[in-house]
Parts: sequence; structure tokens; C-alpha cells
Amino acid sequence: MFRTAARRLLGAGFTTSRLLRLPKPRPTTIIPYSYCTSSTESPIGNQSVNPNQSDTAREEGHRRDESSRKPRAEFEEEQARVLAASLRHVPRLGWTEEAMIAGSRDVGVSPSIVGSFSRKEAALVEYFMDDCLQLLIDRVDSGLDLQNLIPSERVSKLVSIRLEMQIPYMSKWPQALSIQAHPVNVPTSFKQRAMLVDEIWHTVGDGASDLDWYVKRTVLGGVYSTTEIYMLTDDSPAEYRDTWAFLDDRVKDAFDLKKSIQEAKYFAQDIGAGVGKSFQGLMNGVMQTMSTRGGRSSAF
Amino acid sequence: MALRSISRRFGSRVLSYRSSSVASLHSHATSFGFQQVKEEEKSKLVGNVFTNVASSYDIMNDVMSGGLHRLWKERLVGKLSPFAGMKHLDVAGGTGDVAFRIFDAVNSVKRRALRKVDEDSLEETQIYVCDINPNMLNVGKQRAAERGLGDNKALVWVEGDAEALSFDDNSMDGYTIAFGIRNVTHIEKALAEAYRVLKRGGRFLCLELSHVDIPVFKDVYDLYSFKVIPNLGELIAGDRESYQYLVESVRRFPPQEKFATMIADAGFEKVEYENLVGGVVAIHSAIKL
Repeated sequence: MFRTAARRLLGAGFTTSRLLRLPKPRPTTIIPYSYCTSSTESPIGNQSVNPNQSDTAREEGHRRDESSRKPRAEFEEEQARVLAASLRHVPRLGWTEEAMIAGSRDVGVSPSIVGSFSRKEAALVEYFMDDCLQLLIDRVDSGLDLQNLIPSERVSKLVSIRLEMQIPYMSKWPQALSIQAHPVNVPTSFKQRAMLVDEIWHTVGDGASDLDWYVKRTVLGGVYSTTEIYMLTDDSPAEYRDTWAFLDDRVKDAFDLKKSIQEAKYFAQDIGAGVGKSFQGLMNGVMQTMSTRGGRSSAF
Repeated sequence: MALRSISRRFGSRVLSYRSSSVASLHSHATSFGFQQVKEEEKSKLVGNVFTNVASSYDIMNDVMSGGLHRLWKERLVGKLSPFAGMKHLDVAGGTGDVAFRIFDAVNSVKRRALRKVDEDSLEETQIYVCDINPNMLNVGKQRAAERGLGDNKALVWVEGDAEALSFDDNSMDGYTIAFGIRNVTHIEKALAEAYRVLKRGGRFLCLELSHVDIPVFKDVYDLYSFKVIPNLGELIAGDRESYQYLVESVRRFPPQEKFATMIADAGFEKVEYENLVGGVVAIHSAIKL
């Protein structure tokens, strides 16, 4: 499901002006939310049942995808090929048109094709993000062992796998982040991150619904972004050891946050009850004094 | 509408003047504005038009479009995204507007600063300006000399026909035609030639006056076209007929969607178009794959 959604993102930039020579638009009914509702059918607390159910749901989703997915137009294939070739030049040339021109020469296509990408450098960054998401899904599908880990450790592991994919490009990653932050590019980059976070939570075995679903994704989004930024300035030995420690701490905080919110809720209730009782007592006292005083005065 | 009957009357007056050619019409007729003429005649008639207008072409462009044509050409070149070392062909680009802009874009200071030491950038940028009318080319060469580019090897002025280009197959990275394709007798041939000379991955860009569909604006535009422009032509260029031909040829040109289909039929991929000023001008773009 995410694969077609990811491919759809690649196509999103091409629909701004009217297009011919394109197969009929793919059905766009597949969204992250629908995925979640299928997995909420399993009881929330039951961890062992969850993965099985989600697997069958995903299989079904895939079968649906195969039948509904139309072949990609030739120019989309060509553009994807150019972008893939361009990635090899990014560590040297950055996320720029020059990298894309070099990539197009590698594929054997005129560099003019770079002009046909709607937002040039952003197209390259977005392609990379989609590619990484796809690799993550493949990694998970091909049997990543998460059974023996508690949820917070699962989240840590998935986030670290995803962030490791950026290591080859780390010298130019700040540029990619700034490209993603451009107002024009924000909608797409936000969507990609939302999908990533959703995928991670789903793999972890999330059984949330309604408000909790949003809270979880927002919190994980925050954890992911802060770790990503921390990684930019991390030059600890042994492959970013400090970053992973930072990540583990943040994930623990996030999980603790949930407990803290619960505790805060109970605390507030208690206080409310206490204050209410004492206020009532106060009022009773006041009424009593007033009535006795009143009584005394009436005796005059 | 009153306007149309006026233009028809004017058109028919011109038609009777050219009755000799019209009388011998056979199945291969084409349009020259609102007239029907023989195909062989059309390129001669167009040639005459542009010989007449060549000297005042740029001024008239400015006056007719209120200076907007510069912005349209900027947009065209922006879409092209020129790069150093590119081989570009600008067809019907007589006075060199588009070619100069591409040259500037490639050689701008920013680009030179960004250019990394790369084997490929040692390839020379070549911009070919092709036009069927030598008068227009001469005006272009003059303008180049004024800009100090008279001897620059990057700009090459070639006389040629859009329907039968003298360039090799798969030799061009980019092909632009600005306000020229409606003057071509066989649009399909020009498109086929464009497809032939472009490399794989090369881009085709066409800037052309096109059809307006927006209700009230359409009428304003028609009024402006048929009332104001021929009079301007008479005033400034001393040639009403040529500018009458111009506005008529715009109406006869296929609308955006139809033209896009024709481009796709020539073999291009990713055919798109963008309307500027509500459809007064449209930029069609496509890739050869």
C-alpha cells in the first residue's frame, strides 16, 4: 500500500498542468488512515495477535494494489532512472541541478530532461525520501526480528535503520533539509514524513485509534526530526554511537510521556476532588457562622 | 458579432484581390489568416509579411503586448532550464530574442561560479537561430553585434525552413519555437522535424498565441485584436495587412488541447501546456524519449 502511495508521490509533481500521454489516473483511495482502521480490529492490549492480523491486511492490500496499479508512463520511468543515477553524484555535488545533470549523462539522456522536473532539487530529495521508505518497508518485510523487543526498543531500531540510510549523504544532508523546508516543498516533505512515521508505528504494532493515533505520530515525528538534526553534528567514533544513545533516550521519554500524561490526569482529578471537598467544607463553615451570628444578632 | 462581420468583409475584400490564386484552389489548401490559399503560396505570403515587418518587429511586439512578450519569453527560457554545453535550436527565432536570453542564462555569473571542473562542461554551448526569412536574421545579427556578441561562436545564425531542417538527427538538447509555429504551412512536419533533431531526453518548447475561453475577457481580447492591432500596425509599421494576417492566423491556429495532441502524435512524451494571461499565450512543452 505504501509502495503505491510512495510511487504516487513521485507522480504528484506532474499533475500541476494538464497532461496527455499518461495512463488513466490511478485510483487514489489508498491512504494511511484506512490502513490503520484495519489493524484496530484486533484488541489493543493483545500484542501477539496484532502482527498476524496486520500481515494479512497488508497482503490483502498488496493484492489489491497489483490489480489496480497501472504501468508507469515511460517518461516517469526515465525520470526515476535519472534521479537514481543522480544520487551517486550527490555526495560530491550536493542536492543540485549539477548532480541531476551528471546523473542524466550517466543514464545516456540529454541533460535537458532536468528542466522537466517540476521542482528540480526538491524532486531529487523527494525521490530519495521515497526510496528510503521503500527500503525500510523491504527490510521489515524480509523478516526483521522485532519479536523479542519491547515497543520502545522496536521504535528505536526502526528509526535507526532509517537514519542509517542517510549516512552516505550526511555531508550534504543539511542542504536536503533546507530544500525540504522551502514553503513550496513543505506539503510533499510533510506527507513523506507522515507516511514514514505511520509505517514505523504500524510495524511496531500500533493498535491506537482516534486521538491517540495522532499523538503517537506527532511524538514520533518529533523524535525522528530531533534525532536527524542531532546526527548532523555528531562526530562520535564508531558510527554515530552518540546519536543512537540520544535516540534511545528520546524514545524512552516519549513512552514515559504517555505515562506522565496519565499521571497528570489522575493528579488533576485528585486535586479537583480535594479542592472541591475543601471548598464545600469552607462554604459549610461560612454558612454555619453566618447563621449563628445571625442568630445572635436577632437576639438583640 | 459586429466585429466579426467587419473582419469578414475586410477579409473578403482581400480575398477578391487575390482571386487569381483562389480560383485555382485544389484539395491542398491551407489558411493564410482567414483566407484559403494554396500551400505553395503560403510560405511566400508569410515570407512577404515578415520581410515587411522585420525592421519594426521588436517595437511592434512591445506595443502590441504592452511589453509582456518579454516576460513570456523569460518564462519560456526559465522552463527550458538551459545548461552549459547545451546544443540548442531556436526556430523562427529571427530577431534573436529567445536565443539571447538562453545565451545569458548559460553564461550568467552565477552559473559560471557554480560550474564545477567537469569534463563535460568543456563542451561548447551552441545556440542555433534558424529562420526562413533572411531579413529577420539580419536584424538578429545586428542586435547581436550591438550587444557585443557579433563574433561569439556560441550564436550561429542559420537560414532554414522549420519543415526541413538542415541539422542532424539527435543533435539538439533543446528546441524552442516562439511565435513561429502558426506561420508554418504544415505544422505536423515542423513537429516531426523537431522530434528528429532532438536528442533522447531533449525538450521541445513552443510559445504561441493561443485561444482564450474566459467569457468576458475573450470579448475584450477579440476587440483588441481586430480593432486595435491592425490600426497599430498601420500607425507604427505602416503595414495594416500584415498585422491583420497576424491576428487572423492566431484564430486559425489549433486550440491548446488540439495542439498538445498534435505534439503527442509526433512522438513526444509528457506533453503539457501552460496558459499565460488567461490563454492569450500558451507554452507547450514536451520531452523526446
